[in-house]
Amino acid sequence: MHRILSAFAVSLLVAPTVAAAQQSVDPDPGAPLEMQPAASATAETGGAITAAQPRPQREVGTDWPYYGGDADATRYSPLDQITRDNVHELEEVFTYHTGDLPKGSAAGKYSPETTPLKIGDDLLMCSAMNILISVNAASGEENWRFDPGVPNEAIPYGASCRGVSIYTDPDAAENAPCATRVIEGTLDARLVAVDAATGRPCEGFGENGSVDLWHDIGDRVPGWYAVTAPPAIVRGVLVTGAQVKDGQAEDAPSGVVRGYDVITGDLLWAWDLAAPEQNRNGPPEGDVYTRGTPNMWTTATTDEKLGYVYLPLGNSSVDYYGSNRSDAENEYATSLLALDATTGEEVWHFQTVRNDVWDYDLGSQATLIDYEGTPAILLPSKQGDIYILNRETGEPLTPVGEMTGLPKGDVEPDFISDTQPISAWHTLRKDPLQEKDMWGFTPIDQLFCRIMFRQANYDGFFTPPSSDKPWIQYPGYNGGSDWGSVAVDQERGIIIANYNDVPNYNRLVPRAEADERGLTPIDEKQGAQGPGSSAEGAGDPQTGSPYGIDVNAGWRSPLTGMPCTRPPYGGIRAIDLKTGETLWDRPLGTARRNGPFGIPSFLPLDIGTPNNGGSVVTAGGLVFIAAATDNLFRAIDIETGETLWSTVLPAGGQANPITYEMGGRQYVMVTAMGHHFMETPVGDDVIAWALPSK
Amino acid sequence: MATYDVTSQPSSPHQRNWAVTILGWVCAAFGLVIFAGGAWLITLGGSWYYGLAGLGLIGTGVLLNYQKLAAVWLYLLVWIGTLGWSWWEVGADWWAEAPRIVAPTLILVLILMCIPALARRR
Repeated sequence: MHRILSAFAVSLLVAPTVAAAQQSVDPDPGAPLEMQPAASATAETGGAITAAQPRPQREVGTDWPYYGGDADATRYSPLDQITRDNVHELEEVFTYHTGDLPKGSAAGKYSPETTPLKIGDDLLMCSAMNILISVNAASGEENWRFDPGVPNEAIPYGASCRGVSIYTDPDAAENAPCATRVIEGTLDARLVAVDAATGRPCEGFGENGSVDLWHDIGDRVPGWYAVTAPPAIVRGVLVTGAQVKDGQAEDAPSGVVRGYDVITGDLLWAWDLAAPEQNRNGPPEGDVYTRGTPNMWTTATTDEKLGYVYLPLGNSSVDYYGSNRSDAENEYATSLLALDATTGEEVWHFQTVRNDVWDYDLGSQATLIDYEGTPAILLPSKQGDIYILNRETGEPLTPVGEMTGLPKGDVEPDFISDTQPISAWHTLRKDPLQEKDMWGFTPIDQLFCRIMFRQANYDGFFTPPSSDKPWIQYPGYNGGSDWGSVAVDQERGIIIANYNDVPNYNRLVPRAEADERGLTPIDEKQGAQGPGSSAEGAGDPQTGSPYGIDVNAGWRSPLTGMPCTRPPYGGIRAIDLKTGETLWDRPLGTARRNGPFGIPSFLPLDIGTPNNGGSVVTAGGLVFIAAATDNLFRAIDIETGETLWSTVLPAGGQANPITYEMGGRQYVMVTAMGHHFMETPVGDDVIAWALPSK
Repeated sequence: MATYDVTSQPSSPHQRNWAVTILGWVCAAFGLVIFAGGAWLITLGGSWYYGLAGLGLIGTGVLLNYQKLAAVWLYLLVWIGTLGWSWWEVGADWWAEAPRIVAPTLILVLILMCIPALARRR
């Protein structure tokens, strides 16, 4: 057992700041559906003080008030009207169409990944191009919409808006404009706040309801810097990072994390990992936040009680070459970071990869759990490792192992780490690949993939990048666990994790060859990018480093387009929260839509497809999940893993589902909007199912 | 004699059966591709199966072209060897078995259908 000392050193320094907020925020269980006034609200002492106090959090159940269900992001609902015995009776109640489908240059770039919130009678959501929408949760009728006017050129890798956040101002009169507001981050890097009741922009927030996140980032290059995740709100402080389009250049927008006053939109603090003190209130006049640093593109987790926000950090802008990175980048990249949301000061960080050159950025939202009596945070990684850490200190509560003697390669042996942490408690990762794991449609294409296997550098997990030959990265950058994250049923003590089981086949492209191929970063491209969008890393320049990068995502055969490795490509499993042992594990996704040369096979067999998007678990004993590329939405028995119900979606269901209650009826909902990288059809459907009304 | 068989066209015993000949060329062509790739794989340190199976398939093709019943016996050997190798590699993982045994078994069926035509030549 080896622990990551850097996390401890930091946590020891800042641990005393924890003491400030010990007030309990457990909501009154007798009235779980109403916002309760803060027990010791100190409104008269002024906004800043009020904001610094923990406030009661909305509860999941009738509502789905946070992206992750409850504030802890467990994706667990106490609703139990739909059970294992009656789930087969589910019928569609309504489909709402957002009307947001790709136009012009957005074709082939849609991956909305949208999950609505449900508050009171309303569903609140964003569309791929950030149109904010309120829909009646029982009828699917639109209440209002607000289009912030995001241009196509702002689409980074894909047009995604995973969700919105809501905030109720404790000091505002109930019917005052923006007393409850809906807030999103946009592809063109703005925070947009509108009134939850009317959709009108909150005039007091930034300029006419909008805050420009490009401020102090540097030259405005549309598509390089974008927000795709819902912002985190802790004690009245809105915290956001941003997606920085991967693989462009070392001189890229900063990965700075910033905290804003959720009412006024004023910057309260910035956390620039390379200059945390100097840039806390923004960089000096004429300067920008440190360029090219690891960013935070996914959904952070809020901890109202401690006043912390937990941020899964990504990698530096140049993912596959690291010798030019600063010590600060190496210290924080691919770490879970806890910041005091009221001050922007670091509390602790926990690093999951040392000197990451595999794009193993942390994509999953972490989940707050109680682990054997300790307030804990559960972190899944793209490598498939699941860690459980002490929320206050970052100290691991489950065993962390250490891989040693790892190969260092020829490209940058001084930079590559020959040791790496792994979870010794639970990993979703499978055994390393062998030649016999190659697949194909016939012996001929299987043979071709075997030749590719033998031509590549491969020494198992953490094989370092190479340029003379391709190298195999397994698991690939899609996980393990990605942004869909995991669901945790603490009543039953079960973690539900869906995962990918797919390698990438990569090669570093020497600069001269990259120049010959015309690989240029986004800021040097002439005009708008062409239609369509290739997979991330499939010919990225990594300008500033000696190599560009070629990624064959999912390692597909150039002959047939089929994966070179045998199925399954994705699965779902149940893990015992007490012991870390697997309770059941099965492939996720049928072969019905997949086959050689892109021809659907219509086979209803569980081959296990790649998947993106998480699950919901319910007190009714069900796991609801779409995610797979077979366009099915299904209910799985949480005890056995058996599929009890499934229905065909009109488009790809690469989004996290939700469940809620209206008028005594439990609904389950998922959006079917497709995903360009997962190659599922595009749609604009928001679909609700329920048991037949009696 | 199986008069319903597609390969049993009315022909004299010494006439060439074109269906058998075409299958022979198909086997030889696939065999060449598999042998060439298999030889490459062997030089890269990989499995010997493809090189050997490719040789067997080329031999089967040549024998078919000469309208020899020995083609059937040779291919049966290749096919049984394939089953054994496949089971040794992946066992009862049917998703992994499929690409290893489906196509060779399809060829086996075609070759078995040649038996009436080949047998007549003896």
